Amino acid sequence: MNRRLIASAGAVAVVIALIVLAAAPLVGQSAVKKTPWGDPDLQGVYTFSTLTPLQRPDALAGKVALTEAELAEQEDQDAANRVAEDRPLQAGNPGTYNNFWTSNEKGRRTGRSSLITDPADGRRPPMTAAATKVREQLAAEAAARRVGTPPFEHVIYKSWKDLPTYTQCVARPMPRQNQAYNHGVQILQVPGYVVIHYESMHDVRIIPLDGRPHLPSHIRLWNGDSRGRWEGNTLVVDWTNFDPRQEYEGAHQTNMHFVERFTRVDANTIDYEVTVDDPTTWTRSWKFVLPWRADDPNYQKPEHLYEYACHEGNYRQMEDALSGARALEKATKAN
Amino acid sequence: MRNRLAIVTIALASAVGGAVLSLSFSRAGAQAPSAAYRAPRTPDGKPNLNGIWQALNEANWDVEAHNAGPSPFPELLGALFAQPAGQGVVEGGPLPYTPEALAKKKANFEKRLTRPTSRELNETTGDPEAKCYMPGVPRATYMPFPFQIVQTPQQLLIAYEFANATRQIHIGRKPEAPAPSWMGWSIGRWEGDTLVVDVTDQVEQTWFDRAGNFHSDALHVVERYTPSSPDHLIYEATIEDPKVFTRPWKMSMPLYRRVERNAQVIDFKCVEFAQDFMYGHLLDK
Repeated sequence: MNRRLIASAGAVAVVIALIVLAAAPLVGQSAVKKTPWGDPDLQGVYTFSTLTPLQRPDALAGKVALTEAELAEQEDQDAANRVAEDRPLQAGNPGTYNNFWTSNEKGRRTGRSSLITDPADGRRPPMTAAATKVREQLAAEAAARRVGTPPFEHVIYKSWKDLPTYTQCVARPMPRQNQAYNHGVQILQVPGYVVIHYESMHDVRIIPLDGRPHLPSHIRLWNGDSRGRWEGNTLVVDWTNFDPRQEYEGAHQTNMHFVERFTRVDANTIDYEVTVDDPTTWTRSWKFVLPWRADDPNYQKPEHLYEYACHEGNYRQMEDALSGARALEKATKAN
Repeated sequence: MRNRLAIVTIALASAVGGAVLSLSFSRAGAQAPSAAYRAPRTPDGKPNLNGIWQALNEANWDVEAHNAGPSPFPELLGALFAQPAGQGVVEGGPLPYTPEALAKKKANFEKRLTRPTSRELNETTGDPEAKCYMPGVPRATYMPFPFQIVQTPQQLLIAYEFANATRQIHIGRKPEAPAPSWMGWSIGRWEGDTLVVDVTDQVEQTWFDRAGNFHSDALHVVERYTPSSPDHLIYEATIEDPKVFTRPWKMSMPLYRRVERNAQVIDFKCVEFAQDFMYGHLLDK
């Protein structure tokens, strides 16, 4: 190798080094806070709920992002809706207390017209024929339990098994999105694990990062089985083994496979991206993106995630639902 | 220490002869925390309690020494679910109940499997474990299920397998409990190698065990977690409840690390296992 070649190789190396140095801050490598053991630090108390719908409304077809003016208009509408929620159902009835229940903070809009980013139309892909059939069956079963006409409709539950799993306080579907209340979440990290504590249902996902395999496929968990790894500053979680009885977006979770990507984008926000993959349910995979925000005044400290004693406080609800159903049956037979 | 004491007791008893009975009253409690062991540290220099832990004793059947016994339904279950004998975890028993409280403890046991066919019964009667209610502290520690400690400098999160119960222990801050809760309100501090946790604001519906041992809403628990080897913690809990007990009392036991490869706390979301028991009388039959 002659001197000229060495010199030009050196120059190329310097140029590459300069490019790398210049690019580094752009991808946030040097800016990202790390834990003492060197993992990207995602820790904090967040909320994940948002009023942005999962699917793009027809009225916004073709529009991915909202302008500032459109966003402001939607937020005004959200505020008006909150007022409307406390109005009596019918004139003369007492009002309601929905806003007290929901702390009047359901999550601000994201500025996009839908949470779904893929497919490009912001809509869930079509369901497979088999999944459509199951969904129709579930809807028919639910309809068969209803008597009366809205808003004075009643549901006849033959058993506690007929109530949604969440109403029974057994489990609440994952991934969590668009919760109107108790949407606080905390991320904690220790060497080898990322831990996500959801206030609602006091669910804790303890995500190992050591590359271990998933549980055997017949071991099914209400909150699924999570395995994590770092890709740069992004936590990537492979999430599977859901209890087949649980439902998500109108389908059983039997074969659902999610890949979550958590990336801190600023001090206040974690970008939460989920790829949904289940060829037995949807004709193609799809993806949604949701910010986990640290600016909800209701969720600023770990203790703001209060004990969610759902089942412990559910006796009256279950008793009323089931004894009410028995009374309705009796009344129906008497007629 | 205790083991050594026990050996000495055996020797003495053998020598004296006839005094062997004293052995049956000696408790198989935890070794007293040894000052010699220094636990591995977390990055912030505190003893590292991270990991999956489990008690290995019979305290969930009865915190006091007890004999083996049949299951509640031997005609259905045979020897399945029979009660294992245990030497107890209480130091210096019997439990110092007031006379009224002792009567209630006995009634609790007799009515432990009363089905909650009314709201009142549900709120006053029956073992909360049968209903899959969160077990409270200290019972959560010695139920026959693992739990995982997640330790950060400001906080410990404990995720218990039973009933999917969780609790937070705040370190270095003392936020106030907004209301009573099933797992209580925990404020922790480090005393040398020991994590000391003050647990207050527990609802009165939780029990200590299946024997009906109970407390009131005045319960104050002080827990001490002390590493004694890489795979053992000594757990001590001092129980103070002037509405139920005439003096504070203490339990202690070792906790064992679940050292299996890929050990994981998995689901015991037991609500669905409790619903026929709780709501069966309301079903369409």
